[in-house]
Amino acid sequence: MTTAAAPRLAVQGLTLSFGGIRALDGVDLELSPAEIRGVIGPNGAGKTTLLNVICGIHRPADGRITLDGESLVGLRFSQIAARGLGRTFQASQLFRNMTVLENVMTGLHGHLHTGALAAAFNLGRVRAEEAEAAARARELLGFVGMETMADRLGTELSFGQQRLVEVARALVSQPKVLLLDEPAVGLSVVRVAEVDALLRRIRDERGITILLVEHVIRLVMEISDRVTVLNYGRKIAEGRPAEVAENPEVIEAYLGRSLERHPDARRP
Amino acid sequence: MPSIGTRAQVMGVALLALALFPLVANPYLLYVVNLGVIYVVLAVGLNLLLGFGGQFAFANAALFGIGAYATGLLQVRLQWPYLLAVGAGAVFTTGVGLLVALPALRLSGLYLAMATLAFAQFTQWVLLNWETVTFGAGGFKIPPPRFDPLPLTSAQGIYYLSLFVAAVLVILAWNVVRSRVGRALVAIRDSELAAEALAIDLARYKTIAFVLSAFYAGMAGALYSATLNFVAPEGFDLFQMVVQFSMVVVGGLGSIWGSVLGAGLLLAMQEGLRAFKGAQEIAFGLLLMLCIIFLPEGLISFLKRHMRGWSEPLRRPDPRR
Amino acid sequence: MLAYLLVSGLASGCLYALVAMGLVVVYKSTTVVNFAHGELFMVAGFFAYTLHVLLRVPYLPALLLAVLASFALGMLTERLAYRPLMHAPTISLVLAAVGFSFVLKGLARQIWGGRGDYIPFPPLLGTDPIIFGEIVLVPQQLVVVAATIICMVLFAAFFRWTRTGKTMQATAENAKAARLVGIRVDRVYALTWGLGAAAAGVAAVLMAPLTFVYPDIGMSLLVKAFAAAVLGGFGSLPGAILGGLSVGVIEQLAGGYLHTSLMEISAFVIIMAVLIVRPTGFLGARGLRRV
Repeated sequence: MTTAAAPRLAVQGLTLSFGGIRALDGVDLELSPAEIRGVIGPNGAGKTTLLNVICGIHRPADGRITLDGESLVGLRFSQIAARGLGRTFQASQLFRNMTVLENVMTGLHGHLHTGALAAAFNLGRVRAEEAEAAARARELLGFVGMETMADRLGTELSFGQQRLVEVARALVSQPKVLLLDEPAVGLSVVRVAEVDALLRRIRDERGITILLVEHVIRLVMEISDRVTVLNYGRKIAEGRPAEVAENPEVIEAYLGRSLERHPDARRP
Repeated sequence: MPSIGTRAQVMGVALLALALFPLVANPYLLYVVNLGVIYVVLAVGLNLLLGFGGQFAFANAALFGIGAYATGLLQVRLQWPYLLAVGAGAVFTTGVGLLVALPALRLSGLYLAMATLAFAQFTQWVLLNWETVTFGAGGFKIPPPRFDPLPLTSAQGIYYLSLFVAAVLVILAWNVVRSRVGRALVAIRDSELAAEALAIDLARYKTIAFVLSAFYAGMAGALYSATLNFVAPEGFDLFQMVVQFSMVVVGGLGSIWGSVLGAGLLLAMQEGLRAFKGAQEIAFGLLLMLCIIFLPEGLISFLKRHMRGWSEPLRRPDPRR
Repeated sequence: MLAYLLVSGLASGCLYALVAMGLVVVYKSTTVVNFAHGELFMVAGFFAYTLHVLLRVPYLPALLLAVLASFALGMLTERLAYRPLMHAPTISLVLAAVGFSFVLKGLARQIWGGRGDYIPFPPLLGTDPIIFGEIVLVPQQLVVVAATIICMVLFAAFFRWTRTGKTMQATAENAKAARLVGIRVDRVYALTWGLGAAAAGVAAVLMAPLTFVYPDIGMSLLVKAFAAAVLGGFGSLPGAILGGLSVGVIEQLAGGYLHTSLMEISAFVIIMAVLIVRPTGFLGARGLRRV
């Protein structure tokens, strides 16, 4: 599927080394609007580093990153997030001392305007803003199916539920692009199917572009419009899931094990 | 555990009792409770930085001292009237807090602790040695403020002023904590990475927490100078800092009402042990250790667990009963 | 005058180096800064005073006993202020140690006298000054330098060649793995804290003849030791030594060329400057891992 529209997120020649090791070596990537792109590769291939560089946690040694044409290089993580890039993490980063609802409301931080002084005096407009934020947060919780848990503490939730809340939190500000770092890790088969359905709805109902780093091959292959494969910091393949699965270099990268014969890789 | 009423009821009764207190109290008791009210302001301000913001800084006692000195010196050296001096003192302290925050908050954890500790020691040195301005180690006396045309003695006037200021500042803090700003602070405390992912500017909010606590410390200092009618360096040293930490931790980190509780409790203890200077240190040290080891959530956690209506946003009680 | 200040600074710098070493040893192993470290120093000094001056125990046995006492006290600190809080946030650990330091300080004040009292402590080799050209030295200063060198050599040898030392290093690097291979991590931590306190104890006994020991000396010394450790790049033992010497020298230079009242805060100014300009320290390479 070719697209004539301008890419939502474009990365060119991204390079980064950590003390002599090339974590990223001239990586190029272009995401179309409302695309789901999977990123796979063996351990240490640079997948999470790619996410970290895009969202500004690390500064690349070389290369360009643009979001709708605007350059992101050199900006801080919080500034990039403010421009419409959402991110979830491998390890749970739920705010442990807040309820589920408060967690998601925090996701609206960049869209709310109450400062310390206004908050202190609890002006009418502050209360109105809070009420609206709570309503939007509840809506998002409904979207991920967690609305009944709104007043629970994060620590009371199961691992899978925590991840759902984190997704809701990342979504509530309507980001343009969502970077997901292994959303399916540690989840049962049933939950993985739920994540699959959720990601589709995020793309279809909200038009959000998704960049998905995952090890659960089945999920990546089923849901991605296209897949990018990294190895040793370099891109070694890119294309539709079926094409990538048959690519000999990709197979070799996974230690000689044929991706085709992987029980979870299905042709669409 | 029998319910003692909702939080609103308890606080309302307490406020009323405090407002009527001067009618029945002797001067010493009035002074002590006045101090307690000032400690509430200190503890709530420090909790904003330490409990909610999670920033471990040792600057609060020094800022408390700067507030007291600024207010006192404006009165004694420049003959400013008291209320004007209070406002200016608080603003000045806030300014100093901002100047300290800008470089210091680039550090975190123990580095921040040490840098602010260094600032605290430096402030002590200035107060002791810059005698042309601060009167040095002996300190200086302040004439009691007058509250004409209100029919109040100086001590009563200061008491009501302190009570009023404390009530207002506690409510303001309570509002801030329940707002977007409070969520940002707790987010930073619980996960800086996730906070950034939600477009929260770390430096900005850490600075806001620091500046708020500086303002509270400055106001407290301004009130303190008039309560004591005397200002000297030794009330703002590291022991004072430990007392303030104790109030916050014993009451409950991250709980506004816990700080109110902690302030009252610690003052009662401090007064109770006033006669034994050495034992005071030992007792405080022991209390601090015991509270941290056995009651990591502070005394307020008892209230929250066993009584209705005491829970607070951003810090719900442990649901396991 | 410069030579005199330098030598003086090196002598006091040796003491700071020892105290800083104790702090860093505990930090490397447990990633915790012991805020009661200064008080461990102080108690050792008073203890040595009680033994040597009041009970007339000869100098060397008194020194050894005082160091042993501080070793024990260090282990006690670990048991009280660290072990129950191992998984608690840093704030709690620090405050527990601070609480303990106040207990120690208060006890010292009750037992040995109030603020401002000074403890007269006779030096090891007599008081006749030694004169090298323009440099006037008190023999105790030479004792300090010599003893510090011996201590550092012993420390290095301990970590490099003894089994316990290697065990401690292994635990410092990876406590989980150490547990898996059967190392008694709890015991290692206790020993580490004892060792750190002992280093401070040695410094205290060496310092006692040179200047006053008083109950409030702990915090002042902790700040200087921290300045030394930060200057050397926190987490590096050689860095702590160099840092300690630097702090000592800078202090003397500030006092000699600028003003005596500046001596006390020159350490603070160093901390602030280093932390702002270069948080990883000028001399070392590693910064704080755990925040």
